[in-house]
Formats: sequence, structure tokens, C-alpha cells
Amino acid sequence: MSTTTTTTPRAATPPSSLAASSKFKTFVTTFSITGPVVYCLVQYFNYPLITFHPATERLVWGYEAARSGEGPNMLWYGWTATTILIAAALGIIAMMLPERISRKLPLALVWIFPILAIPYIIYSLMPWWVLAAK
Amino acid sequence: MMGLISTNTFWTIWLFVHLILAVGLLGALTHQAVAVAMPAHRAAGGIVTRFRAVPAAGYATAVCVLWVLTFIVGSFIYTKYRIYIRIPLEQTGYYKTGGFFDFKEHVATLGLVLLPAYWYFWKNVQNPEYDNARKGVTLVLAVMCWFLFIVGHVLNNARGFAS
Repeated sequence: MSTTTTTTPRAATPPSSLAASSKFKTFVTTFSITGPVVYCLVQYFNYPLITFHPATERLVWGYEAARSGEGPNMLWYGWTATTILIAAALGIIAMMLPERISRKLPLALVWIFPILAIPYIIYSLMPWWVLAAK
Repeated sequence: MMGLISTNTFWTIWLFVHLILAVGLLGALTHQAVAVAMPAHRAAGGIVTRFRAVPAAGYATAVCVLWVLTFIVGSFIYTKYRIYIRIPLEQTGYYKTGGFFDFKEHVATLGLVLLPAYWYFWKNVQNPEYDNARKGVTLVLAVMCWFLFIVGHVLNNARGFAS
């Protein structure tokens, strides 16, 4: 017996109020488009919101280098937090722009930018690859 | 909690939780990516056709929730990884493994920031304006998820459960 289930049901179900909002669309697309770019910049310039020292379980604001005798520091949490805050701020700013401007944002950038970020990420991990090649 | 079970068991349980969430996420995203890349209009047929014929839009919220939960649990485990896994990996010369783990953490964040737009595109599945963007972002997230899963699996083989 066959059924007629389709994979992309363009059914009459209307989107929820949030998903129907053009302001929300501007926020999410700006957030997701700028997110990968902001993350690469935050990592390159090293602007973590917080630094975590796992050996001592010490959490500090901003960047703090690993301290002698206290194990390594972890910056990834801070980079991620900074990225989310900046991308959200850019999303809010974009919401304030007239819709004729925000509509011009190419939606394809949502998936193109993370792909473009990958070569930079690989490059940023060069110390590992150099050690592995020795 | 730590008084009832050993420290090793505690972290092993969290690693299992991370694994189970990741398996759920991988399954949901793979179904959705195949459905969006090669849509099947009838559920009948062989296993491949049935795999493609899932109602893909229904997975969007679950994918977002699973990605965030997997991310949070992974971030929690990461604190121990940095001390008890990465340092021994470096000392024993597993630099490629360590490098790929760092690559994994970056990819996990890149995927995280895509989720709002991904969710929006799927919640507006009736709007053809978003078809290409929805397809692109779903495929990118699926590839990322497979990469994260495979690197995590290899890393676990190198130094994971009970180490």
C-alpha cells in the first residue's frame, strides 16, 4: 500500500507568529550570517568574554593567560560567548533598519559563510599541524 | 552524586549522554538532509526511498534542541578533556588527534550560530523564497554533524571511555 507523504509539505499550516514575523527573520538571518564571520574575527583577535582555568576551576572575565603551576586556560567558551553577543547585537541593529534594506541581505550567505570560515579555522590550527608533521 | 559513584563513572555517564544526544541529532539531520537533497514524493518503495520520504519540516525544532543540548553537555565534558585527555595526547605525540578536536570545537560553534536561521527557514517551509537557503543550511549542518561525530568517535578511541 502506498502513501502520499511528501517531504516538503507546503501544507496550509501557517507558520507560528514568531516564524511569520519579518523582524524576527531579519534578526535570525543577520545573526546566522554574521556569526561565522564574527567567530573568526573574535578568535583571530582573541577576544574571549571569559577565560576558564580547568585545573583550578577559576573563571575570569576577558582574556587571561595560563598561569604558572595552574594548568592550561580555555578560551573557546569565551570566544563562543563573545560571538553570540556580537551577532545578537548585529541582529538587533539590523531589525532597526528599514525593511527595504534588510530584505536585500542574500539568504545564501547563511550557508556560504560557514563554508568560507573552514579554511581559516584550519589555518588557525597550524601549530597542531606543524607539530604533527615533525 | 560523586559520593555514590566514582569520578570515572560520573564522567563516563556524561560522555554517554553526549553520545546518545549526538546519535539522535545525527539521525534527525541525516534524514532531513537526504529528504531536502533528494525529495521523494511517495513514501512507498525501498528503504532508500522511505529514508528520503520523511516529513522533514517536523525535525527542525528537534534538531535545534538536540544541537544545543549536545553542545552544552560537550562543553561540560570539555573541561575534563582539557586536563585528562588533551595533555596526555600531546605528551604521546597525538597532534593530529588533538588538532582535529580543536577543529571540532570550532565547527560546533559555527553550527550553533546557524540554528536560528535554519529554524526560521524550516518553519516557513511553505515559502519558496527560502527553498535554496533551507537546503544549503541543512546540508551544511548535516556535514558538520557527521564531522563532529566522526572526530568525537576517533578521539574516544584514542583516549575516551574509562581512560
